[in-house]
Amino acid sequence: MAAAAIMLAPLPWATGVSASDALFPLAVTDDEGTEVTIDAEPQRIISLSPANTEIAFALGAGDRLVGRTDWDDYPAEAAELTPVASFTGVNMEQVVALEPDLVLAAGNFFTPPDDIERMRELGYPVVVIYAPDVPAVMADIELIGSAIGAREEAAALTAKMATEFDAIGEAVAAIDARPRVFYPGGSEPEIFAPAPGSVVADMVTLAGGDPITTADAAAWAIPLEELIVADPEVIILGDANYGICPADVAARPGWEEMTAVVTGDVRAVDDVPVTRPGPRLTQGLASLARAIHPDLELPAFPPDAPLCEGAGA
Amino acid sequence: MTTTDLARERAAVRQGTFEALRRRPVVLGLIGLLALAAAVVAGIGLGSVFISPADTVAIVGRELLGWPVAETWSRAHETIVMELRLPRVLTALVVGLGLSVAGVTFQGLLRNPLADPYVLGTASGAALGAAIGVLIPLQIVWLGLGLVNILAFVGALTAIAIVYRVAGGGGRATMTSILLTGYAVGSMLAAGLSLAMYLSGSQLRQIFFYLLGSLSGADWQSLAVGLPVVAIGSLLIMLRARSINGLLLGDDTALHLGVDVRRERAILLALASLVTAAAVAMAGLIGFVGLVVPHVIRLLVGPNARLVLPLSALFGASFLIWADLGARVTGELPVGIITAVIGAPVFVLLLRRYRAGYQL
Repeated sequence: MAAAAIMLAPLPWATGVSASDALFPLAVTDDEGTEVTIDAEPQRIISLSPANTEIAFALGAGDRLVGRTDWDDYPAEAAELTPVASFTGVNMEQVVALEPDLVLAAGNFFTPPDDIERMRELGYPVVVIYAPDVPAVMADIELIGSAIGAREEAAALTAKMATEFDAIGEAVAAIDARPRVFYPGGSEPEIFAPAPGSVVADMVTLAGGDPITTADAAAWAIPLEELIVADPEVIILGDANYGICPADVAARPGWEEMTAVVTGDVRAVDDVPVTRPGPRLTQGLASLARAIHPDLELPAFPPDAPLCEGAGA
Repeated sequence: MTTTDLARERAAVRQGTFEALRRRPVVLGLIGLLALAAAVVAGIGLGSVFISPADTVAIVGRELLGWPVAETWSRAHETIVMELRLPRVLTALVVGLGLSVAGVTFQGLLRNPLADPYVLGTASGAALGAAIGVLIPLQIVWLGLGLVNILAFVGALTAIAIVYRVAGGGGRATMTSILLTGYAVGSMLAAGLSLAMYLSGSQLRQIFFYLLGSLSGADWQSLAVGLPVVAIGSLLIMLRARSINGLLLGDDTALHLGVDVRRERAILLALASLVTAAAVAMAGLIGFVGLVVPHVIRLLVGPNARLVLPLSALFGASFLIWADLGARVTGELPVGIITAVIGAPVFVLLLRRYRAGYQL
C-alpha cells in the first residue's frame, strides 16, 4: 500500500543538523531562494506569520520577538507583541519604529511581495518562510533556528517532532482502513478543498486517510459534482472553528448521499494545529488521526477539546 | 447690468458666504494653497507612529533644506519621515492633482458631467494591465517601477488608444460615439480583468487592493518617474484652457471661435490620458477625486476652465492628502473608500446649495 510505504521510508527531516558553527555574521538562503545576510544574533525579531511566531517561541526566542501579525494567537504571550501586519498588508511605519534586526516574513503572498521588497529596500534582513508540504515545515524550523541563532534548539525540536510523527505513523499503520477523507476548509461560496501535495493533503495521508483533493496544485476549490463522485467516507470539518458542524453538512443539498453523511462519519477538528506549519503540527496530526479513526489510541497526546458539542460525532 | 446678473446678485444674497467666493477666485486660490500647506504638514506629521512635531520639522529641515540642527531623534523616526511619509504625501499630492486636472479635461471634452478620468476605458485597461503584471511570475524593475505599475500605465494608454481608433476619433466622430465606444471597450477589458482575478489564486488579494487604490507603496523612485509626467501633462492642459472653454460650447461654436476642434480634442485627450495613466500607475484606481473635485470647483467659480483647472489641481491635491491621512490613521483602509465617504456628502451638500445655475 502506497501510504504505508510513505510511513516506513526514512523521513527526510530525520537527518542530523550540524549544530556547530552558529556564528554570525551568517548568510542563509530563504524559501524563495534569496540569500539573506544576518550580521549579528538577532535581538529584535518581527514575525509576519502565526507559524513563524510559534516557531520562534518554541525555540526559546519569544523574548527576542518585537512584532507580530493580527492573527498570532499562540502562545498567549504573543498577544503582548506589537501588531505590525493585518490583512491589508504590513504597516511599514510600525516596522521601522520597532527597528528590527530580522524579519521573518511568510511566502506564497501571505506577506505581500511588495512589502517584502520594501523592507529589504529599507535595509532589514527579511527571511521568507514558506512550507509547501510537511517535510518543508521541519526544514523551516531549522532555517529559523539558524537565522535566530538557535540551531541546537531547532535540531532538538525537529528531532522530537520526527519521533512524534513516527509514533503516530506506527499507530496509524496498525489500522488497516484507509478511508477516503474529505477535509473542507470552507463551503461558501465554493467548496474549499486541499490541493494535491499540500500540507493538508500530506497531513491527511500521514493520519491514515486517503485525501480527496482538488484537480491540481493551483486549484483551491472542488466542484460539488466531483465531490459526490469522489464519495468521502469520512468528512473532517476543518471549518468547525468557523461555526460549521456535522448537522450543517447533512442539511446541504447534494451532500446527503455521501457515505460519510449516511454513516454519520462527519467530525469536527480544530484546524489551527492541523494547518499551521509550526511546532504544533504533530498535535494537529494526532487530532486529525483520531478524527479519521475514532478508535485510535494515542495516549502520548492530550485529548482534544470537543467542538460542536452535542451535534454529531 | 443684465437680468442674469441681477438674478445672480439676488442668489448671492440668498446663498451667503459660499457664493461670495464665486466672485473671488484669488481668495479661493489662497485658501487652496493654505489647505494644501496644512495637508502636507499634517500628512508628514501624523501616522500610526507618533513623532513629535518639533522632531518632524527638524528632520525635514535638516534633510531637505540643510538646517544646522542637532540630530536628537532616532534613525527609525528619520526613516519614517523621509522614506515613508514624505514620498507618500508628495505622491498623494501629485496623484490628486493629476486626477483632478484630467477630470476637468474629460468632463469638458465629453461635455458630460458624469465623465471622470477613467471614463474612456483607462480604468479597465490599467486594472487589466496591473492584474497581468501580478500574474506574470517575473520580478522586473524598470526605472524603479515594478511590472504591475508599468503594465498599468501601458494598459491605460492602450485602452484609450483603442477607443480613439475604433471610434474614429481622428475623423468626424462625435464625442458621444467616443464615450460609447469607451464604455464598450471598457466592458470588454473588465471581463478580461474578471477572468484574470478568477484565475489568480493566492494573488487575488494583490489585484483587489490595486483596484481599490492605495498610496502605501509610494516611494521616491516611483515619484521621480510619475511626477514629471503629471506635472508637464497638467501644465500643458492648463495652457490649453481656452480650447476647453471653446469645446464646452459645442464643436460648431468652437470652430467659429477659431478652435481647431479635431486637433485640440486629440491633444487634450492624449494629455489627460497620459496624466491619468501616470496617476494610476503610481497609486492604483483611486475613484471619486477626478469626478467630484472639478464639480465642486465649478460650483464655486463657474465653468471657466482657466479658473477651474488650477483650482481643481490645488484642491484635488490637498483632498487626496487628507483622504490618505484618513486611510493611514484608520489602519490602512483603502483610500478610495475614504475619498467617496468624505467626497459624496460634501458634493451633495454643495449641489443642494446651488440647485439653480449649475452648468458644466
